[in-house]
Amino acid sequence: MLDKDLIDSTLEYARNKKIEYAEVRAQSQNREGIILKNGILETYSMVVNSGFCVRILTENGLGFASTNKWTKKEAKQIVNTAYKMANNAKRKTKIKFVEEKTVNTSWKVQQKKKIEDIPPEAKINKLMEIDKTLTTQDINIPARMLSCSTALIQKYFVNSEGTTISSFVPLIGMYNFITIVENGKTEQAHKQYGYTGGWEAHDKWKVAADLVREAKALQKLIREGKAVSPGKMDLVCGPEVVGIAAHESCGHPMEADRILGREMSQAGKSFIYEDGPFWIGTKIGSDIVTIIDDPTIKNSYGYYEYDDEGIKARPRYLYKEGIINEFLHNRETAAKMGTKSNGASRANNYDREAIVRMANTFVQPGDMSEDEIFEDVKYGIYMKSFTEWNIDDRRFNQRYVGREAYLIEKGELTTPVARPIIETTTKTFWTAVDAITKKVVFDSGTCGKGDPMQGIPVYLGGPMIRLREVFVK
Amino acid sequence: MSEMLAKTESIMKKGISLGADEVIAKTTLGRYRQTRFSNNEIDISVAWNDYITNVMLTWKKRVAATQIRNFQNIDATMERLFKLAKVSKENPQYGGIAKGKFKYAKSVADKALWDLEDPSQYVELAINAAIEEAGPETNTGGILFTKFEEVFLASSEGPTAHDTRSAIELSIRAFSTIDASGHGVECSSTLKNFDPSRAGEKAGRIARLARNPKRGEAGKYDVIFDPLFWGSLVGSYAWMSSAFNVMIQMSIFADKIGQKVASEVVTLRDKPAGYSVANRTFDDEGYPVGETTIIDHGVLKTYLHNTSTARLFKTKTTGNAGLVAPRAWNIEMDAGDVGREDMFDDLKRGLYLTNTWYTRFQNYATGDFSTLPRDGIFLVENGEIKQSLKDLRLSDNALKILSNIVQVSKERQHIHWWDADPPSLCPYVLVKDVQMTKPT
Repeated sequence: MLDKDLIDSTLEYARNKKIEYAEVRAQSQNREGIILKNGILETYSMVVNSGFCVRILTENGLGFASTNKWTKKEAKQIVNTAYKMANNAKRKTKIKFVEEKTVNTSWKVQQKKKIEDIPPEAKINKLMEIDKTLTTQDINIPARMLSCSTALIQKYFVNSEGTTISSFVPLIGMYNFITIVENGKTEQAHKQYGYTGGWEAHDKWKVAADLVREAKALQKLIREGKAVSPGKMDLVCGPEVVGIAAHESCGHPMEADRILGREMSQAGKSFIYEDGPFWIGTKIGSDIVTIIDDPTIKNSYGYYEYDDEGIKARPRYLYKEGIINEFLHNRETAAKMGTKSNGASRANNYDREAIVRMANTFVQPGDMSEDEIFEDVKYGIYMKSFTEWNIDDRRFNQRYVGREAYLIEKGELTTPVARPIIETTTKTFWTAVDAITKKVVFDSGTCGKGDPMQGIPVYLGGPMIRLREVFVK
Repeated sequence: MSEMLAKTESIMKKGISLGADEVIAKTTLGRYRQTRFSNNEIDISVAWNDYITNVMLTWKKRVAATQIRNFQNIDATMERLFKLAKVSKENPQYGGIAKGKFKYAKSVADKALWDLEDPSQYVELAINAAIEEAGPETNTGGILFTKFEEVFLASSEGPTAHDTRSAIELSIRAFSTIDASGHGVECSSTLKNFDPSRAGEKAGRIARLARNPKRGEAGKYDVIFDPLFWGSLVGSYAWMSSAFNVMIQMSIFADKIGQKVASEVVTLRDKPAGYSVANRTFDDEGYPVGETTIIDHGVLKTYLHNTSTARLFKTKTTGNAGLVAPRAWNIEMDAGDVGREDMFDDLKRGLYLTNTWYTRFQNYATGDFSTLPRDGIFLVENGEIKQSLKDLRLSDNALKILSNIVQVSKERQHIHWWDADPPSLCPYVLVKDVQMTKPT
């Protein structure tokens, strides 16, 4: 349990200094992790990770300090440190936080099957069963890494404006990596699962079936896969590819801290910048492209009700009908841009500064069935999933390499295609979209940003989309 | 014995008293400071104080691990950990931890980094150096990070150790215009060897040269890699040298011990030496760290091991035990016999790539990958920079890159930043026939 009295008294101590704003955020994470390597339990780890931080804004700047020592003496020390560091900044341009409503609330995510009630043996056996299913197929999968992690996260947030928020979030995730060998050739696949809730996640996920299906597809790819003849053609992207494209080339460049340059030396800037060719209201995609970042999707991996600055979460329409519509903000970036925070401030632990992050980013569904989207493609590629991917640090020049992919001929999927590549720009990609299916499918991921790196749970998703006449090689 | 070492040892002994076969406890008292800046001003100054004990415990080849951050109830935590090991599954591949008493090198940590309360002056020096190089309109951002750790380790198998570790790192990126940038880093284990201006100057110089970039053309180029770029790729090679990653085929080096994996001018070592920001005297088993030659004149000599993986591969530990898996500490590439200027003079037509990010593999076993050059990308002709370029991607194969290295410079730089981990000591390298692609 978090010592709320200590947190409240820490805030009071900070209030007595010459501050413009102060907050104290306590966090306790009860984590477990299991790694199964080639069918052998490598290690079972458990961690109770708890501590608290203070962030102080003075007329000179921002200071942040944290500790995992829950004592009054330590609390005073970190307040003093944060205060001193804030004043040492001696900024010429003053940092402001936009005015927001104060909140007094608590929220929690329910578990149908409490993670803490599941015995360790059952958790291990779950992974063992999945591995056994994989090894009893007629497929050579010599390298298999299956890992499962759980976290029970309590937070208590207070600030000098009067906000007080308690929360509890159970998180469960899986990460799998397999190597298939066939005729001396290899193919590899990785997949992540994530869920906010209890152990019932495993009832919803079909991990073993997914891995078997993936392994069979890759085996077939090695046996029958053909190289693509480079050229302009239609490209149908599956939800996994749509999700990563939405995350990388819409979510990231729409982070206001990146647009303002605060991440310039690490994750970079954005192709969107003031007085540049792209800004709010600029066309970036076809009219049917709407990309949303929504933290309020129940049980999603990026779910939260209030962000780590105490702002109520809501869906953000980033690209709307092909137009750049709304940036992701925290209170600092919102103040700089003359708007309100939209609740995108997240930290992955008590010892990290909350920064602007995505939650669950996806392409809004359209009206087409999955059969219809292939129907009038004379010749093209269906990129169901991806392997290598990357994007430049302005989030404009991107590349996705197909993992499972097929040739489309006269509306029919025919032979597997080995590693087709689309290497294009954000505008070309989203402008080429002419059809979107009805059903959104989400994948889970751990988004990386910040220095030190703060991996944060997110969903990436979408329906299938069709890009007309793009260059595939 | 210090009080903290005694506390660490008592945690280890608690595990043994519960019935564990082996226990390692490692306590880290860490003091970390970071100053983040952008638009030539400090955005936030951050301080972490960490008090952590990592524990690894085995019982009948069952391995359980924890990290203690709450010291109020250590006994209950250890009891829970031991129960976890008992209900866990046997790891038949588990081969134990380092046994015996060892002598360790002297710690080189710099107490001045403990005392450094306000590092903002160093940020200012770096910003000013960049602006001086690239002009008054230059926009800079980056981080300054300092670390001072005291580490205490007690193992039931003999090792008892104490180390102090310190580091100071600056990473600065300068934009002379919206699409012209340069990046510099400065890394040291001691304050006296730390020169933030050097990083600022480099970032500013590249940002100035990078002005007015044109879109690059796809094709094969001979490429000079700056130590900063090379440090990112070396990070990938280091990661794939871990025996753990070899076992799950997340490595181009699987089944290649004794084989030629690089050109003869390539020698890569792991060496957490005194100068390095990863300086240390022992690994997480309490085994003394040293120098491990991974690639010797192009031939793969060893993977990086802990005691357990070493036994499985019928060799000796290389002193690279991390908490769970072996890991590299600080990679050194041996210097070559070519001066940097001579390397440029030898380049008739090619590219000079100064930095990169977002390296991703299609297949770790085969090594097909791509990475995004950023900051200065230059077309070089007859040793001279002819044109600043943009929008190019390096799309090639990691083994081919190693095999196509034709020159290694005498000059080396200590590299560590957000996209280049573990730290490294890297030269300039000239690689022939590197495939570059562009968006269409």
